[in-house]
Amino acid sequence: MKLLVCIKQVPDMESRFKPNGSGTWFDEADLAWRMNEYDEYAVEEAVRLREQLGESAELTVLSIGPDRVVEAIKKALAMGADRAVHIQDPAVADKDPWQIASIIVAHAREQQYDLIFTGMQSQDRGSAQVGVLVAEQLGLSCATTLVGFSYENGIVTAKRELEGGIKGVARLRLPALVTCQLGLNVPRYPTLPNIMKAKKKEIAALPVDGLLAEPAVAVTTSFHPPAKKGGGVVLEGEVGVLVDKVIGILKEKTAILR
Amino acid sequence: MEATREIYWNIGHGVVLPMYLLTLAAVGVLVWGFWKRLPLYRLGKPLDRCDRYEERVNRMIGDLLGQEKVARVRDGGLPHNLFFWGFLTLFVGTLIIMVQADFLTPVAGVNLLKGEFYKAFSLVLDLAGLVALVMLGALFVRRYFVRPEGLETVNDDIVIHTLLFGILLTGFLIEGARMAATELVQQPDLASFSPVGKVFAQLFVPFDTSSISASHKVFWWVHFALVLGFFCAIPYTKLRHIVTTSANGFLVPLEPKGTIPTINMEDETVEQFGAAKVSDLTWKDIFDADACTTCKRCQDRCPAHVTGKPLSPMKLIKQIGETAETTPDAALPEVIGADAIWACTTCRACQDICPANNEHVGKIIELRRNLTLMEGAFPGDEVRGAVGNLEVNGNPFGLAYASRGEWAEGLPVTLMESGAEVDILYFVGCYASFDKRNREVATSFVTICAAAGIRVGILGKEEKCCGEPVRKLGNEYLYQMLAQENIELIKGYGVKKIITTCPHCFNTLGRDYRDLGLDVPVEHYSTFLHGLIKEEKLRLTAEAAPFDVTYHDSCYLGRYMDVIEEPRSVLTKAGGRIREMAKSGYDSFCCSAGGGRILAEEKIGTKISEARVSMALETEAPLLVSNCPFCLTMFEDGIKTGGAEGKLVVRDLAEIVAERVKA
Repeated sequence: MKLLVCIKQVPDMESRFKPNGSGTWFDEADLAWRMNEYDEYAVEEAVRLREQLGESAELTVLSIGPDRVVEAIKKALAMGADRAVHIQDPAVADKDPWQIASIIVAHAREQQYDLIFTGMQSQDRGSAQVGVLVAEQLGLSCATTLVGFSYENGIVTAKRELEGGIKGVARLRLPALVTCQLGLNVPRYPTLPNIMKAKKKEIAALPVDGLLAEPAVAVTTSFHPPAKKGGGVVLEGEVGVLVDKVIGILKEKTAILR
Repeated sequence: MEATREIYWNIGHGVVLPMYLLTLAAVGVLVWGFWKRLPLYRLGKPLDRCDRYEERVNRMIGDLLGQEKVARVRDGGLPHNLFFWGFLTLFVGTLIIMVQADFLTPVAGVNLLKGEFYKAFSLVLDLAGLVALVMLGALFVRRYFVRPEGLETVNDDIVIHTLLFGILLTGFLIEGARMAATELVQQPDLASFSPVGKVFAQLFVPFDTSSISASHKVFWWVHFALVLGFFCAIPYTKLRHIVTTSANGFLVPLEPKGTIPTINMEDETVEQFGAAKVSDLTWKDIFDADACTTCKRCQDRCPAHVTGKPLSPMKLIKQIGETAETTPDAALPEVIGADAIWACTTCRACQDICPANNEHVGKIIELRRNLTLMEGAFPGDEVRGAVGNLEVNGNPFGLAYASRGEWAEGLPVTLMESGAEVDILYFVGCYASFDKRNREVATSFVTICAAAGIRVGILGKEEKCCGEPVRKLGNEYLYQMLAQENIELIKGYGVKKIITTCPHCFNTLGRDYRDLGLDVPVEHYSTFLHGLIKEEKLRLTAEAAPFDVTYHDSCYLGRYMDVIEEPRSVLTKAGGRIREMAKSGYDSFCCSAGGGRILAEEKIGTKISEARVSMALETEAPLLVSNCPFCLTMFEDGIKTGGAEGKLVVRDLAEIVAERVKA
């Protein structure tokens, strides 16, 4: 059985984001990078299935992006993926979800994966489109926002998180694609022997040029922080000083004391 | 008549041969007993503890004769020491008699045991016997009648007490019987040099010579049999500590305190990291169990143990030995318990006090390495998160690495990347960089440096966590990744001297980084400031307002690095009148945050920080001063949750000094 898990490397959300020169995405200077949180759940679930199936299964991890994404790929390999595909694209940020999905499809169509795992969405773009677009293009059965997963005899049982805290259960026949949500599992911390083993695993590097023929359908025209509407002030100091400050603010900014 | 006595009186020289043969047999049983234990130690991995031979021998002899570590705790320690010296004196006396009777007299025809020397000899041995007997009595009462909490008594103890009481009492009875028949009649003056023997002799005075002679023979043989029993019992009872604890004086680690073996990450043949089984530890780790006398001093001082966590350093040592003996393939994390393994703050109080020179902390680190590196385990999910943050942003808070140097904006600090000349590199550490409370410490430190004309450089956003907390949690891999990055950076800037405000950074950069190739002098700011004051580069306005204060020794500064006096001196120069806590200096009590526990929540038992805060309250000083960001954080917390707000304020030494700097 051939398993694929698609991961994205995203900036740490604590980073300070600034628009880049063209004003269509964020500037990458001074950002710390990590594996997209939802993709970690996907990797963990895929690795668990790989362990359940044993040697009859092979788990491939795929990521699109510049050389830095190899770090995220290595982590997935250390967590237990067998091999990796790095689709080299220094301009991945300029691609829209349709293009990203098309790149994955171009690779996956040949490989005939039985089951594909993705994150529910990426932490940076947050479109939640890529997984479902891949499933649609490949004609796979698909379930999104998984908080529970089991597999037996060719059937995936997927527990989904729906609106308002309601859960639903779907059964999918293979081939299928699932997108993973927070709460599905606790991603493992790679053990040192597995980190060492991962260093020897194959990472196939494929240039993006051969895999993408589609134009963008939704082009980002502007990336900018929302206009500042207001904010909180944290006052500190002795109680007496605090009182004076509050009175000052009320006088200055409101009509209450006039 | 000259002062002397007839050796083998009433026993006869015919006893010499059987006596020597029996003694030889007993010594044989002793050696055999230890010989049989050797395979147990061989279960462990090899470790060279025979290098620097002369130094080791000297240390062992010093430990053995001085018994200083035993004396550090008066309860139990004082009577044990007096007993030891008494018993040792008796042993040496017996050896002198042996040499005299069986070698000097028959071979050289010389008698040393006469005249003034004999008088002194008699008196010293008599008193030594008395001291040993009284101290043994005191220890007996302590063990069986007024037992201190936590003191475990096993069958060995009654065997040992019986043997020792028997040996001492029969010794005096033999002496008494002999004196009643000889000295008391022939040389009453000489009898005064055996005051205790003289008292025992009174027991025999009412009887006729033949009864005295007969009972003397009986007591002699009983005494001899008990001594043989004592020899034989050594390897099979707690008495083995006579050999093993002494040996541990020779086997002590000679590298700098706190050294943890640096794992070679390049070695691909290694399949097991840390200790999952006894065989993953070293032979010394198994031997330590035999050197342990279960004096429980470690347990009494363990901050985790006394606040209700399931860790006892003593039990851990024993469990390793018992597992090696009974189920060598057992999984150690199950035997010891993960909660116990994670509870350790690596404060080193156990190891510091251990009279047997046992090494507790290293064992815990090896157990943690297995949990972390082989099983990907964490003491809690909050630690999992913090470790993830360290991997991504180089700090446990998960804050943007690029903001690491922001605290220094507007302060007299140079970024190393600017290339400007500096006197010191201030390795700021995560807490002083990001934590609001500890940023005040960083600010104070650079203010002081500016006043002393010291040009301070920082690495800013290039600096990463030194890796200490994760290393102590067993994650050697992440530690080495962080360390390598810092080392390359520091080396690249050609730094001449590094100062830290964090004792954990100080230990790590100054000692642990050496294994990874950093060779730059590293100092904690408290000794650095002490030096500046001494050289009069820094002047303080002490006279302005003296204040009462208590000082907390950070474990990693005091016990690990022997920095005890310098911070106190700085504090005193700043006007502080120090009121010491009951536990201070080498006996200081951990704040709870060492050993990577800074990243973990304290979910079991009561809070260590509150226990320490209440010790500070006992001094009635309104101010608690520390010089470690972890301590400061824990005490701020302990003061709030422990209800000490309004009664106690915690501040860092740098803050105190910064306020009293003369421009």
